Amino acid sequence: MNERATLATPEQRSYAAPPAVTARDLTKVYGAAHAGVRALDGVSLEFTRGEFTAIMGPSGSGKSTLMHCLAGLDSATSGSVLLGGTDITRLGSRQLTLLRRDRIGFIFQSFNLLPMLTAEQNILLPSRIAKRTVDRSRFDHIVNVVGLTDRLDHTPSKLSGGQQQRVAVARALLNEPEVVYADEPTGNLDSRSGAEVLAFLRDSARDLHQTVVMVTHDPVAAAYADRVVFLRDGRLVGEIRQPDAETVLNCLVRLEG
Amino acid sequence: MLRTTLAGLRMHKGRLVTTALAIILGVTFVSGTLVFTGTLNESFNAQVKGSADGFAAIVLPDNDQGDGSEPTLLSQRTLDDIAALPEVTEAGGVIRGDTPLLDTEGRVVGNLPTAGVSVGDSTRYSAAEGELPADADEVALATGSARETGHGIGDEVQILDHEGAEHTFTVTGLVDFGVGSEFSFTGAVAFDETTAKEMTGVDGLSEINVTGAQGTTDEAVTEAVAAVAGDAEVLTGQEFGQRLAENAGADSQVLTMALMLFALIAMFVASIVIYNTFAILLAQRQRETALLRCVGAGRGQVFRGALLEAVIIGAVSSAVGVLAGIGVGYAGFAIGGETLGATVSSTSVVIGPAVVVAGLAVGTVMTVLAMLVPAIRSTRVPPLAALRTSATAQGLEQGIGWVRIAGGVALFLLAAALVRWAMALSSSGPSEHGLLVVTLGGFAAFLGVFVLGPLLVRAIVAALGAPMRKLGAAGALAADNTRRSPKRAATAMIALTVGAALITGYSVISASMESTITDQLERQFPVDYTITPQFDTETGEGIPPAVAGRLEDSPAIATVITERTAYTGGGEARTDLPVSAYYGGAVGTDVGASLKSGDLSDLAPGKVVVAEVYAEGRDVGATFTVPTEQGERDFEIAAVTAGTDGLWGVTMDPDDFATYFPDATDAQSVSVRAADGAEDDEVHDAVYAAVEDDPTLQVMSTAQLKNEITDFLDTAFLVIAAMLGLSVLIAVFGIANTMALSVLERTRESALLRAMGLAKGQLSRMLSMEAVLLCLIGAVLGVGLGVVFGWAAGTVVLSDLLLTVPVARIALLIAVAVLAGLLASVLPARTAGRTSITGALASE
Repeated sequence: MNERATLATPEQRSYAAPPAVTARDLTKVYGAAHAGVRALDGVSLEFTRGEFTAIMGPSGSGKSTLMHCLAGLDSATSGSVLLGGTDITRLGSRQLTLLRRDRIGFIFQSFNLLPMLTAEQNILLPSRIAKRTVDRSRFDHIVNVVGLTDRLDHTPSKLSGGQQQRVAVARALLNEPEVVYADEPTGNLDSRSGAEVLAFLRDSARDLHQTVVMVTHDPVAAAYADRVVFLRDGRLVGEIRQPDAETVLNCLVRLEG
Repeated sequence: MLRTTLAGLRMHKGRLVTTALAIILGVTFVSGTLVFTGTLNESFNAQVKGSADGFAAIVLPDNDQGDGSEPTLLSQRTLDDIAALPEVTEAGGVIRGDTPLLDTEGRVVGNLPTAGVSVGDSTRYSAAEGELPADADEVALATGSARETGHGIGDEVQILDHEGAEHTFTVTGLVDFGVGSEFSFTGAVAFDETTAKEMTGVDGLSEINVTGAQGTTDEAVTEAVAAVAGDAEVLTGQEFGQRLAENAGADSQVLTMALMLFALIAMFVASIVIYNTFAILLAQRQRETALLRCVGAGRGQVFRGALLEAVIIGAVSSAVGVLAGIGVGYAGFAIGGETLGATVSSTSVVIGPAVVVAGLAVGTVMTVLAMLVPAIRSTRVPPLAALRTSATAQGLEQGIGWVRIAGGVALFLLAAALVRWAMALSSSGPSEHGLLVVTLGGFAAFLGVFVLGPLLVRAIVAALGAPMRKLGAAGALAADNTRRSPKRAATAMIALTVGAALITGYSVISASMESTITDQLERQFPVDYTITPQFDTETGEGIPPAVAGRLEDSPAIATVITERTAYTGGGEARTDLPVSAYYGGAVGTDVGASLKSGDLSDLAPGKVVVAEVYAEGRDVGATFTVPTEQGERDFEIAAVTAGTDGLWGVTMDPDDFATYFPDATDAQSVSVRAADGAEDDEVHDAVYAAVEDDPTLQVMSTAQLKNEITDFLDTAFLVIAAMLGLSVLIAVFGIANTMALSVLERTRESALLRAMGLAKGQLSRMLSMEAVLLCLIGAVLGVGLGVVFGWAAGTVVLSDLLLTVPVARIALLIAVAVLAGLLASVLPARTAGRTSITGALASE
């Protein structure tokens, strides 16, 4: 068992840890500065360490853009993003690459895995890219928790959608990144597989003290999170702590209206 | 459907650029060859015809005497009779004989004596530069002879007359006798009529040029001339020109064939590239195709759409290729025409309809053919596929493919059997059929590689995978990517295999020939210089004994070996049995040969060494009867030689030879070996001093001969490698194209990798390694095929071939392949690196 996993108890999670990720006055404009589309319009947010946050909002609300900017995949027009103590909006593309490699994990909606690699190779890929030695016991633990132990030699085409996504989750968590970003991780899954993946993300936040940020438009998925933030037209318009599907849905309906 | 196809073409034109380039290059080569050789031919024709067209009739000695003897020359009387005809204004005779030209060292030029020709008032020849000779001390040189000796207009040259006396002339001009003329091999010098007669000592004319009277047709003149010319052959000027043109044409035809062969190889490689591109494109378009089927397009329509696409791409690219070919062909003619003996300035480019039609047809038909299989495959796409995501790693799920293995192994066995058969065919000497069979074997082996290609790629990548994984994530991913669609990878690299195999094969043949010939020179003629008479040994004089005497006296020379030969007929020998003996050196040590049986050093009085052809099945110990000058004598066979190098005919002991052929005292060749420690210059001077009085004797230095052979083989290799280089270039385009298409297909994958922290540099390194891996596999397979079949072909052509693998050249080839792989990945890597991560991940 991993040391952090055994130490992580609900009591410890309650103390005021410094935020894992902080966004300050984040603005993203597509096109010319004055006439362009404001995808993000002054968003300020904090993501507490070990918290599972869902970002919600109607289509075009800027939730994907927000995640891309937080993850250093896209550059903000103004404002700053702090990952730990690093202002990632000041980094060059090379440093960003290293940052993504060493400090961030990703889970995408689809096409998450390389088709020619086995499940194990896919999980180990970021470590290979970074030339990191892998903590074998952590690997075994994670693989065991996501239930992939018998499927490690399979290529993605031999895995179900849920299994593929669990491979992606295992890959994102293996290196203990400071934050895991998940972009509609259950979008392509049936409800049972989706529930498995979400439960695992929730457990990893609780048990492994893993910060997780998930973009979704599914209130049921959002209900697994500790906190849901709502975006609309590039602005932060609401927040629910310890949500359930109903309150999230209500909140969404209010936003749409 | 047409509209859909055209829209598709417009949308995907970027993906088709390299395909189009492959077609364009192939077609450029084909039409360039046609334009080049067409223009060259026209230039040759103009030269030879122009010279004859001006005359009404040409009279030639009757060649066909039936007994093979020299034709009777035309007499002065015939000329006078012709000149006296009312239909004739003027008639001039041409005197032709041997007038050896001396080079700047005072030695005769070439193996055959230079021809001396008269150029009088009625001559077919004109000066290409300067003036024709008008005086007794003036001469014009053939352009070839001038190039060979380095003499130019205004220089003084020495020419021997028929008695061997030296005369000095001033060069007034250069004459272009044209390609394929009777002077191609001998070279020629032109004198005025009187001088020509004095120099050649020939009494008679080899040609009479007749100018007709005003208002008389050429036919009428020819008829009138024929009436007084007796047995002689009389042609109109045009007929004669036609004949000359045919001779010249035969020369350029060989060139056309050779160039066409290379052009076809290039087209073949291009068709592999096109096939692969379309196979990938149509596979990528699977969903589009399925969508078309969903909305009601029939299989036929899908097929016709694909075919139409091929026709459009083929026709457009071919048209560009034809235009480029015309340019390249004419440029080639302008640059290389002069060397081949054409007059560049006065010839305009020849673009027959054949050039355009052939270029367009070859390019389009080839494109359509290459497209057929992928097009048929695309009709099998079910409409439901529109709803599925296309599998991009279909290769991984495939099994071993026992059918494939069986087919490949069968082809390799067939190739091996063919090679064995070829060896058997040529075991008794070089054989043309053997070469053909080896070529067939090469095809079979190539097909075997083609069939086994995907498996070979998988096996090689599996083997190389471990070291590549050590190179980090980029290397590991490159290996995995190559493995994911082995068929595609195999087709891409096979295109390179063709060029690599041919280049390697030829370089193996070339290197083996060089080392074989060098070895034979060293083993069978371990000498430094050989002196031979210029004229044919059968009738001409030999080397005066004084030459050997002078050489023996020289301190710089250790050994002087003289060869005496007598030609004897009748008896049980074949028509002409050469009998030789070597003085001053021992057969077996100083003079060698490839042996079939026996031992050369067993040669002693009463015994002979016989060449296999003359032995007619008899072996060592048997009796061989030689018709000597003293009557038939029986000898015991001491050894039988094989092949055509070294000893030939019958070789006997010097004492026996002196007894039985007392009249054959002139040496047919004198070979010398330098004394230990003698300087090269000393030896050279000693040899040249010994032959100073006999300018017709040919001096050959073994070192110089080796250099000449090496130079010749090197030049031939460079030319052939350059010709095959185009095929390699096309194959590299194919690999670049495969890479580019794969990169497009893997856009989301690349984005995922980048999101996970793969640096741009690593991404492009991954692609470079993929391309290099493909190029390397292609090149290494090609080298393998090339070495095996180069050896086989060499052995069939040249018995006792010493297999020499030109390691440096092969290493260079492989280095070029690696470089080509790096180049091929430059653009795809840039595309992959530039793609926005978020954009690629967002787009479905």
